[in-house]
Amino acid sequence: MSQPKTVLLLNGSPKCEKSNSRQIGKFLSAKLEEKGLKPEEAFIARLIKSPQGTEKLSKLVDQADIVVFTTPLYVDSIPSFTIKAMEMIRDHRVVEPQVEKPLLVAVMNCGFPEKEHMEIALKIIKNFAEEASLRWGGAVSVAMGEALNGEPLSESGGMTRNLTKGLSLAAASLAEGQPIPLEAEELTSKSFLPLFLAKSMLRVFGKRMWNNQAKGNGDKPDMYARPYESGR
Amino acid sequence: MKAVIFNGARDADPVIAAIESSLIKLLTREGWEVDVVALREKQIAGCLGCFGCWVKTPGICVIDDYGREITRKIVHSELMIWLTPVTFGGYSSELKKALDHSIPILLPYFESYNGQVHHKMRYETHPKLIVIGTEPLHAEYEETFLALTGRNALNVRPPKHAAGVFRKNEDLGKTLPFVEDLLRKVEVTS
Repeated sequence: MSQPKTVLLLNGSPKCEKSNSRQIGKFLSAKLEEKGLKPEEAFIARLIKSPQGTEKLSKLVDQADIVVFTTPLYVDSIPSFTIKAMEMIRDHRVVEPQVEKPLLVAVMNCGFPEKEHMEIALKIIKNFAEEASLRWGGAVSVAMGEALNGEPLSESGGMTRNLTKGLSLAAASLAEGQPIPLEAEELTSKSFLPLFLAKSMLRVFGKRMWNNQAKGNGDKPDMYARPYESGR
Repeated sequence: MKAVIFNGARDADPVIAAIESSLIKLLTREGWEVDVVALREKQIAGCLGCFGCWVKTPGICVIDDYGREITRKIVHSELMIWLTPVTFGGYSSELKKALDHSIPILLPYFESYNGQVHHKMRYETHPKLIVIGTEPLHAEYEETFLALTGRNALNVRPPKHAAGVFRKNEDLGKTLPFVEDLLRKVEVTS
């Protein structure tokens, strides 16, 4: 592949600008911009709503040299509307075969501490890349992504140091038109905290976190409610 | 006893239609009340990821559309069946738009289950689960598909579950024994 010139940050989260996966993708695309690539950003949640939007989506993918595809984990897979976009992009590229094969990098995050929750979803994205004639550029999988709190990633160290280091390595390869190296995949998927600690914290403090969110909504609802219990 | 079939075909898919017919035939013969939901005909908004079904209106999606009916049907069934063309090794967008509404049957709180962190269940009992995929593009997709159904089972905790893939070019007459085998695995038929 010749030197890539453009990068499409394709956001598959319903939270759009507020999504954690976007912050990871943004860091990567900014690194690529530093290396001279022209970035563009698109939000599937908005484009999927109209025929014009889906047409634009397919064109954006066709015209990109690199697609950074960011998505959260939803029920062990990908959000439904994002799968719909994947079906449409695949259908379009099968009907209208393209000469160019953009490099597709998957960026996924989940709220669980174990990265294994994302393995199957990433295989699904890899299969999509193959069916849609996109080159597989590797995967960035971030467990406990909720800890990012929708904030931009910082290179100043702290819990995201391995993630930002891995993304910088990934950008160096992608800028040369190459998939991200295994080292970058491994660095980006390292847990923010030792796994035993992350698991214990989620179990202990997770409950408090959810209860606080509920309290923030005014009257604290019955968190254990079973609204569909009757009539069974 | 109630069974609900979520049909995730993207169009008038003859293979999925044949499997659905075989399921209805065998289940009604066994005395089950069968409810079929053709998902492509239903307006279900995509999950917003807002967690409102956990912290604002626990157990109920904040969006008032057919998604709420999906959750109710899951809770009210003893057997749940998912039908889908194998899509990139996973589920079609039509089936997934229903499954994303299974979140309200979970609690936000975490627990360790099968060695990993998962959400706790909101209800005490859950339906048995059968997942059927059709016509995988590649043989290796079948492995991914079956692994996905196994992970889903960790999250929706069916007392019994089974999954199978009905391959391309198979005689549609074989859907009956194919379905019969899956029903036997979840002990719906003997």
